[in-house]
Amino acid sequence: MPERNAASSPGGETVVNIRNLTKQYGQRLAVNNLSLEVQRGEIMGFLGPNGAGKTTTIRMMLGLIAATSGSVEILGKDIVTHRAQILPRVGALVETPALYLYMSGRDNLKAVGDALGGVPKARIDAVLEMVGLQNRQKDRVKTYSLGMKQRLGVAMALLQDPDVLVLDEPANGLDPAGIVEMRDLMHRLSAEGKTVFISSHLLSEVQQICTRVAIINLGKLVTVSSIGELTQSHGEFSVTLDRPQEALALVQSQPWGKNARLDANGALITTAPNNRGRELNLFLVKAGFAPDTLTQATQDLEEVFLRLTNGGAGGVQ
Amino acid sequence: MSAVITTPTTEQMQVHKATPSFFGLVRGEFFKLSRQWTTWILFVLLLGTFVLPIIVEATGADIKDRINADALHFYYNQLGITMSILRVFSGIFLLIVTARVIGLEYQLGTIRVLLSRGVGRLQLLFAKLLTVVLVALAIIALGILINYLLTILMVSAIIGNLDSLSKLTSQFWSDAWVYVWYTLLNAGVSILLATAAAVVGRSLSFGLSAALVFFPIDNFGTLIMNLAFRITHSDFWLSITAYFLGPNLNVMPTVLTSGRVDSIGATPLYLVDPQTNQAHGILVDGTQTLVVAAVYAAIFAIAAIWLTWKRDVKE
Repeated sequence: MPERNAASSPGGETVVNIRNLTKQYGQRLAVNNLSLEVQRGEIMGFLGPNGAGKTTTIRMMLGLIAATSGSVEILGKDIVTHRAQILPRVGALVETPALYLYMSGRDNLKAVGDALGGVPKARIDAVLEMVGLQNRQKDRVKTYSLGMKQRLGVAMALLQDPDVLVLDEPANGLDPAGIVEMRDLMHRLSAEGKTVFISSHLLSEVQQICTRVAIINLGKLVTVSSIGELTQSHGEFSVTLDRPQEALALVQSQPWGKNARLDANGALITTAPNNRGRELNLFLVKAGFAPDTLTQATQDLEEVFLRLTNGGAGGVQ
Repeated sequence: MSAVITTPTTEQMQVHKATPSFFGLVRGEFFKLSRQWTTWILFVLLLGTFVLPIIVEATGADIKDRINADALHFYYNQLGITMSILRVFSGIFLLIVTARVIGLEYQLGTIRVLLSRGVGRLQLLFAKLLTVVLVALAIIALGILINYLLTILMVSAIIGNLDSLSKLTSQFWSDAWVYVWYTLLNAGVSILLATAAAVVGRSLSFGLSAALVFFPIDNFGTLIMNLAFRITHSDFWLSITAYFLGPNLNVMPTVLTSGRVDSIGATPLYLVDPQTNQAHGILVDGTQTLVVAAVYAAIFAIAAIWLTWKRDVKE
């Protein structure tokens, strides 16, 4: 698959603009010259193996750690020079939810709301309902399950009705129903024009939630692309037919079919003569292998991720 | 995560306009402090330390004779005891509360929630400091009020009148004010010490431990230095105690009131050999104790501010 490094998507208002962002710890480059743009209303997935630099990037985006070089602009302003204006418009959940364990869920929101300039009770009620915690709002957070803490962390991020949401593993600890609810919430927020930047290890979720994904490895941007482009297998077709092994042998003997293979379901994956599906169909029919189906091949995001990140182990591409 | 609730437009606008404010942060800190059982348990214990010595004093067999014999001396003695207890225990209370207010934010990781929403690092630190300073002022004022009222009540109950108060001189009230200022200064140094410890360690455990062992160590240090002097006969070991924080704070009220008010705790070592009349060590005065306290306070403050300002937040 050709490497894609188009860090921006065409059109739309750029809400997050990361330019040549670098963070160096001694000799180690945690983030290496990362450039990325996120458009308004997008749900951008941010993927990478452990230690790839995702959290470091997110922390630099939120002004928690200083970049060695490069810059981050959110809503058109540099977050270092305009942090007090910009960051209140950004809701964030970084790594595990950080909460005041000795207080109730509602008091947690009030405490953070006070610090952020005051939030009306109605807004606290609203975010508690959004994340489904209204029935446990008066219980101490230390009695919450991980999933409930995660929901409260998301509620905190939503407290000021932010324009941009930066969520690090938001589905962590959620049960399947919670994951579906989280997915719906992300879609609703996106539909309201909010921009969502999600780091996650749940690739199937990312595939369902995100409009685009950026994959980093060893601190460097490997690719940024729409989910469709990324999972599309360029120039390859998936054919289901009888006697696939025999068909495979035949196709592999053709000059255009040397890389043909069978996928896990037994479907023949191959390029086509002159890159045309019609010609592939004609060839197979003439050879006595009339296809049941012939479609453009797609790949699972997980396969793409593992290939681009050398099996997710952070190896060099 | 059910249906999105649409808030009224005015509330939405209010939410959108809200930005972190210093006094909002202070309000938030008071809210968090008030929601901790530890705060209230410590507060009740502190009240007990204010009341207990006066109850012990009131049950003394010769108290009536002492008041009648020399009322001024009795009241100076009361001042020394009650204010020393107020100073020591309010100091411990403030060390714990300050370490919790700052250290817990690091330990729970909630500091990243606040900072990532635009709260300034120093803004947050100063808001926390102001919160603790206001708590300190409140408890010291309360402690003084309780001491004053209980002493009056005790004398009234034992003697039957408050005539002995007329024996109090303007010098007494002046010394009492010195002790009040000294107690405030002691509280300030304690707050800065706990702040620095919590910021350096970035945790409640480290901050609390370091803050609580600091004064016992430098008080105990005078014993070690005395031992070192006896072994080596070098004045250095005695002189160095003139720069210890705890001993300087302990001796401060006594030197500031020219010995009229007693205090408690180890003091900087100063020995005079009775045979040769030769002095060993440094005899500290009021200025020296104030300068030493100010230097330590400045070091604590600079360390806390610098590290808060410059260090990455990895919690």
